[in-house]
Amino acid sequence: MSRRCIFPLVLLMLQFLSAPTPGAETVSKSESRFKRLIQPVLAEHCFRCHGPEKHEADLRLDNLDVDFGNATSAETWHDVLNKLNLGEMPPEDEQQPSEAQFQQVVDWLTGGLELAAAAKRRSGGHVVLRRLTRYEYNNTMHDLLGIDLDFAKDLPPEPSSEDGFKNSGAALSISPLQIEFYLQAARTALAKAIVTGPRPEVYHHHAEESAPSRRKKEVTSNTVTPDARFVARLLDYPTEGEIVVRVTASAIVPKGEGYPPMRVTVGLRSDVLAPEEKLGEIDVTATVDDPQMYEFRGRIEQFPLPGHNPKYPGVLVTVWNDYDNGERKPLKRARRKKGDDPPPAPASNVPTIVIKSLDFEGPVFQSWPPNSHTRILFARDSEDDQQRYVRKVIQRFATRAYRRPATEEEVDLLLSFFNRIRDESPTFEEAIRETLAMVLISPEFLYLMEPHDGGKSKHPLTDFELASRLSYFLWSSMPDEKLFALAERGKLSEPDVVAKQVRDMVADPKSNNFVEHFTDQWLNLSGLDRVAVNPEYYPDFDDRLKPEMRKETQRFFAEILYEDLSAMNLIDSDFAMLNRRLAKHYGVTGPRGSEFERVALAADDRRGGLLTQGSVLLSNSTGEDSHPIRRAVWLLDRLLDSPPAPPPPDVPELNQGEPDLLGLPLKKQLELHRQKDSCNRCHRRIDPWGIPFESYDAVGQWRSEVLRVAKKGRDTRTPVVASAILPGGHEVDGLEQLKVYLLTQESKRFSRALVIKLLTYSLGRSLELADEAVVESLTTQFAAADYRLSDLIIAIAQSEPFQHN
Amino acid sequence: MAKPSWHLDRRTFLRGTGVSLALPLLDAMTNRGQAAERSERPRRICSVYFPFGVSLPPDDHEHSEWNWFPQGEGSEFRFTKTLSSLKSLRQDVTVLGGLSHPHGRSIGGHDTGDIFLTGASLKGSSYANSISLDQLVAQQIGDQTRFPSLTLSSDGGVGEPTRSTTLSFSRNGRPIPALSKPQQIFDRMFGEGDGEIQTQRRKLESSGTMLDLVLEHSRSLKRRLGKQDQQKFDEYIASVRAIEQRVERSQRWLDIPKPEIDSSSLALESSPEGPMEYIRTMYDLIYLAFQTDTTRVATYMLGQVAGATTVANTFPAFLGLAGNWHGLAHGAGKKGGYENLGRFDQFLAEQLSYFLTRLKETPEGDGSMLDSTLVFYGSSNSRTHNNHNYPLVLAGGGQLGLKHGQYLRFTEKTPLSNLFVTMLDRLNVSRDSFADSTGEMSELLA
Repeated sequence: MSRRCIFPLVLLMLQFLSAPTPGAETVSKSESRFKRLIQPVLAEHCFRCHGPEKHEADLRLDNLDVDFGNATSAETWHDVLNKLNLGEMPPEDEQQPSEAQFQQVVDWLTGGLELAAAAKRRSGGHVVLRRLTRYEYNNTMHDLLGIDLDFAKDLPPEPSSEDGFKNSGAALSISPLQIEFYLQAARTALAKAIVTGPRPEVYHHHAEESAPSRRKKEVTSNTVTPDARFVARLLDYPTEGEIVVRVTASAIVPKGEGYPPMRVTVGLRSDVLAPEEKLGEIDVTATVDDPQMYEFRGRIEQFPLPGHNPKYPGVLVTVWNDYDNGERKPLKRARRKKGDDPPPAPASNVPTIVIKSLDFEGPVFQSWPPNSHTRILFARDSEDDQQRYVRKVIQRFATRAYRRPATEEEVDLLLSFFNRIRDESPTFEEAIRETLAMVLISPEFLYLMEPHDGGKSKHPLTDFELASRLSYFLWSSMPDEKLFALAERGKLSEPDVVAKQVRDMVADPKSNNFVEHFTDQWLNLSGLDRVAVNPEYYPDFDDRLKPEMRKETQRFFAEILYEDLSAMNLIDSDFAMLNRRLAKHYGVTGPRGSEFERVALAADDRRGGLLTQGSVLLSNSTGEDSHPIRRAVWLLDRLLDSPPAPPPPDVPELNQGEPDLLGLPLKKQLELHRQKDSCNRCHRRIDPWGIPFESYDAVGQWRSEVLRVAKKGRDTRTPVVASAILPGGHEVDGLEQLKVYLLTQESKRFSRALVIKLLTYSLGRSLELADEAVVESLTTQFAAADYRLSDLIIAIAQSEPFQHN
Repeated sequence: MAKPSWHLDRRTFLRGTGVSLALPLLDAMTNRGQAAERSERPRRICSVYFPFGVSLPPDDHEHSEWNWFPQGEGSEFRFTKTLSSLKSLRQDVTVLGGLSHPHGRSIGGHDTGDIFLTGASLKGSSYANSISLDQLVAQQIGDQTRFPSLTLSSDGGVGEPTRSTTLSFSRNGRPIPALSKPQQIFDRMFGEGDGEIQTQRRKLESSGTMLDLVLEHSRSLKRRLGKQDQQKFDEYIASVRAIEQRVERSQRWLDIPKPEIDSSSLALESSPEGPMEYIRTMYDLIYLAFQTDTTRVATYMLGQVAGATTVANTFPAFLGLAGNWHGLAHGAGKKGGYENLGRFDQFLAEQLSYFLTRLKETPEGDGSMLDSTLVFYGSSNSRTHNNHNYPLVLAGGGQLGLKHGQYLRFTEKTPLSNLFVTMLDRLNVSRDSFADSTGEMSELLA
């Protein structure tokens, strides 16, 4: 069932906008025009495949409503228009309508849709009441309470909308399960934020020598190699609060090698075999004659603490050396389980970390009660009685949580709850916690509320609503005090103020949330987790590269955003963002450490832009070989906003009953595939986009031959074929040429797609016909600003759909 | 074994493996006052779905032994290699062929997981599903247990329409989020809860008041929202209302201790990266939920049909079978493809057999747990992208009047929902019809 393509590309739409429109035609007149001029053409050329008998592509035109005011059918007609404009329909091998007939249908559609869009501009385009996503909820809880815990870990994973985004109001639903977890999380969080009792005991642990390990085969030492770790065993430890681990260490780095990454983990609950969790990781760059102190922070509750089994007392703090020099031990059949140790690298020629000492301290706090407490339960005015004080506490907390001033009525309701439970509660603090927990399950907190009269017209947002839109767009969290203050002063509808504020927000480290979530969702980077790399094909591949690939793409996007580079760098660039391991994987020289840095590329590096990044290549592969169809669909969908239709029902299996195709080059196989009519209809417009990627294997490495592993060493290697003729007739050979083609011929389509994706993400809703004009104008502005993302973000923040609902 | 006590100790100790320990009927623990009901053994239902269909080589193919469906028909049939692990359970299972949901036949080849248990029509401009089989049962008998139902999947959450990661849909067709993490599932069902009974009671009372006020407030807030927002907001109100009811119910359950389970034999840390251990643990959790009468209704979606988004796609690779599940299914026609996919089908069937065997080896009344549990297992694709001829197994319920030991073939005239009507009837949830059903499936009745 095809329900996407709500807003597909309209390549030639623009030039038709000026086409004669039916203007003031009455409904009956337009209907008669349809019957007289249009329907016969459709009947002759379309209904055979999209009529009562067959519904190719899940599309039936003969009974499709021709009233473009009907949103559903209008969207479908819009798709039809696109197909016509792209010359994709009727299929080449079918009888074609005359030029005049063709034009008539196109004019009818264009004019009618344009009118309907204009009518709709006054009505639709509302953002549907939007619940906070898991990550938005987590960030908001963190910013609101100042407690750094993972509050979302029990919440079910989020669905994606049809256009791939996780923050779409229409797609985000809520269920009893979630309410249950929200209440649980609220109570947990408030119990930590608001404290009772005396200052807790602080545990200190100082270790200068590694403790022995209880695991068999495990070597412990102060000289940490990939085979040996440093262990500190804490028999006394806190169970709650922030902890600090300080490691004083240095590194011995053999010539030509990089810095060893030091990973610190905490935990170990042997009764259920729960492994330790990572506290932090950093490259050790200090030399032996000048050891440095490296500091790691976290909350002890985040780690697996000892269970009931007295056989395994204490918490382990372990220091690991994650250096990977690329050498692999012979392949073992048994797969590693998550949490198992990384495969040990040979000890020779590997950088080592020398531990001088390790210090543990926890819980740490700057004051008692901690800030999280005094921020909520601030000092009480001497003239306030308890009722007035509690009212103020609620007022202040709810105002922050609701991201706008809490109303009198809301405060009354919360206060009434407080009064009802106060007597039953063991302490004043407990009653306050419960009351504030009520705030945290209220719709005003869980949803981005933009109440409107329910009328059809859109209205300007209040300044507080705008502040929330901005902060959830760029920070994935609640507004900070400055943004809130701007809203209080009613400044956020002024374009200059918005522009300045957006620049400040992008400069804030919290904008990393935007970078990560937008790139992840737009480019579908989580696909990396769902492809298993087959070690028979890639014995050298280490799964730990996957998160680095994801990070590469995020850092690449970040570089373009923060350095104000042209977004066309996404198609092709003369630099890459790499760290040592990834550079090595790609065969590029440069970085020595785990941090990502900008690396200048030479032509023979064969990298540049998104298309050559491991994240894209691997997530759209089979784990054994490239997958040209998936790569093509990804390119069409994500970069050009022209997703092909999903497979129709009952498409036959590839090659069933046909002679074995193994050994034929992939391009040949796809050609055979396309000989089947049912396949060809869609795939001739898909496959050519994926063929040019063929010089990159499943894990994103350059290749000139395609490997197929077979039993008994009968592996085959066939030369790569990367040339294809694109649907427009343009021939490209390899990614370099495809990139040139995209930059020269498709820059408009790409930039427009990026505008659409960014606008969709910023609004939290799918775009509609009525947004066409805004998209057009934003695309023009984007080009005029040399495709700088920051300017595009500002333009979006100032745009009509962003400022209205 | 000693005569089962109808009243459990506060700390009845259940072994995770449970095989050697026959459990007394647990509604004894729950409905102390309702003596009449005690003699009625709990009836249960578990539905399991897997994506991408199965290996179906032609009869004359060299790998025809990897065809999922048995050879022969009726009671004269022979399991192929794929389902050979069911041999010892032959008299407790029926294999069903030729069935499908008529509404599913014309929708996308990847879209049918959503309607596996609902039979709904997804045609039309906006997605609208309907109540799933399990939830219909939960509506009727869910109030007899601590949890009305248990919804699990390897992916967790709800996924997206047509790519749902849950099999369960509520009365109004809304997806019910599935749980995927064994530890979380265990804690939710058997966790201690915080603190003393007194504290818990106070918390529950406070929750009740809180939710009541939130509900009241939300209802007045709703009037100030636009129409679309109101529809969305109804979900929130319904959810709060459901939790409010659950809180009420929890208050009633408060004096009845949760069964204490020794988790050491459960692989609660397992994840989909170790598929065999993970799938077995999910089955173990369902088994324990049934055994302790924590719930009588469960679903488990092993994976969903979008190769690009389901975690289950990597299952075959972790087992040493080349490639991803979707690729394996697509490549069935390639050389060795039938066997490769068949081996994976066999692996999945072995996990089912493991679960069925555990139920069968647990005595209950004068039979086994399996005798009063319906286990429905299958896919809504035969081959990949093909929405006909679902590969299906119905197991258990020997004492609920079902006849097994058969391989039944149907034509397209029989909608799958007829099976659901028959299952509902066996569970004492009498319904004349379900979705597009046209009658009962009398072939299954003893």
